[in-house]
Amino acid sequence: MCENHVINSLFTDFQSNMDKEQEIREVIRNICKDVGQISREATTVLQVIHHNEAGINPACLKARELFEKAREGYARLTEALPPNDYYKYQEHWRTMTQRYCFLIALTIWLETGILATHDTIAQVLGISALERKTGFHLDIEDYLNGLLQLCSELSRLAVNSVTRGDFEKPMQISKFVMELNAGFRLLNLKNDHLRKRFDVLKYDVKKIEEVVYDLSIRGLRPKPEPVVDG
Amino acid sequence: MPGPAGKHYRGNRKTSNQTHTLASVARETATSLPADSPVLAIFKDAARKLNERQDRHERLVKLSRDVTIESKRIIFLLHSPITKESSENTLTEAKDRMQKLINGPIRSIGLELENSPAHLHGRAVTAGFQEFIEARTLLSLMADKRIITYPEVQKELEYEIKDDDDADVDNQRSLVTMLPESDYMLGLADLTGELMRKAINSISSGDSEECYQACQVVRHLYTGYLGITGSRLLVRKLSTTRANVNKVEMAVYALKVRGGETPAPLLLPAAPAEWEPPINLSDDEGYY
Repeated sequence: MCENHVINSLFTDFQSNMDKEQEIREVIRNICKDVGQISREATTVLQVIHHNEAGINPACLKARELFEKAREGYARLTEALPPNDYYKYQEHWRTMTQRYCFLIALTIWLETGILATHDTIAQVLGISALERKTGFHLDIEDYLNGLLQLCSELSRLAVNSVTRGDFEKPMQISKFVMELNAGFRLLNLKNDHLRKRFDVLKYDVKKIEEVVYDLSIRGLRPKPEPVVDG
Repeated sequence: MPGPAGKHYRGNRKTSNQTHTLASVARETATSLPADSPVLAIFKDAARKLNERQDRHERLVKLSRDVTIESKRIIFLLHSPITKESSENTLTEAKDRMQKLINGPIRSIGLELENSPAHLHGRAVTAGFQEFIEARTLLSLMADKRIITYPEVQKELEYEIKDDDDADVDNQRSLVTMLPESDYMLGLADLTGELMRKAINSISSGDSEECYQACQVVRHLYTGYLGITGSRLLVRKLSTTRANVNKVEMAVYALKVRGGETPAPLLLPAAPAEWEPPINLSDDEGYY
């Protein structure tokens, strides 16, 4: 029967395409393993901010070096990826990219005290910030997820700064995270993973508020701002 | 941080002072934020991007539903003819509607995805594509006695677009509605269900030759799916496919055994009563 031949070729074609896809996945997985390792290294390096004030600047420099390495990794990833298939394989680098967004945003905050934009982070990683039909880019959701991780880390830093005797930093963190909190409220989040991560933000905000509160009632705030009179 | 005792102490104080301190921090910051602060600008931009993405997703879900509905109707139409003469007319009508479907909603999907990565919204359109493939392959099988291949279907989804707005510029461009191959294969798995139905219908209309043919195609397809490795989605469909093979083989068996002792015209009233229930119980249309 002639049908049989057509159907057979249909399946062999599909199988060979599947095999090709598996090979691409393997390549991508290997690159992601390397780049992910760098992100863990950078995370470790930046942990010093919680216990050593003087270590912050060297840590930022070291992190910057690691970002350079990551940038090379992302260049390799861009090359390995078939142009149309960013979202087909996204799961492989998603968590890692979110982590980088967090790390870069943290480094920039430590250096300058401002919020890194989507474009800035994409630039550090050497990838595009624009979502286009083809090619590799920094997904907006990954960027936002990174910012939420940043808030959690800063809430921890607020506590540890006080322990260290630095009463200025919690105020700065409070202002910064409040701004982010106000910003996140502008977003129309669906009931997805980003929304779940966003739900954690209120606990971070609360933690920071408590630190500020503790400082205020003990008169430890650096320059006491007029408290709203009831 | 205060110890347990301090905590208790603070807790008492908090209840009386909370509105002035804890919440005041938040209020202070919120009110002190200028409307044009760079942070808010970043988030407004992000909100715009997210909204665009969500809106596009919704529009695609709608289009996908349109494709599903029309595909189902085409399939229904293809099942309807009883006699050979009426099937000619049906095929023409089905082809016509299929063409309208390709040039209507499916083209719109292509337009919607023209400037964005297709796989981002894969989940919005997969149901529509699968149903479309089911209808398209059934049509090709009935019209040309062969199953249309993936590259052939993909070729049908290429369009030439002309913008009428700017008549002075030659604005013709080509557009492709990208059809994922996995959707093609998943739709093809659903085809076995339709063929099963068709085989059973053809028993009731006394066309045993057609029944054997359909049965053979279902077998070939099932054999093919058994050989595929590495796709989770297909594995899930395989059990349905297996059930379809069983049903159609039982139908053919019954036709052989009972058809041998009964003259063909007498089968007409008997067969439906025997085989209608399994048709209705078929679970391959699980979407609705």
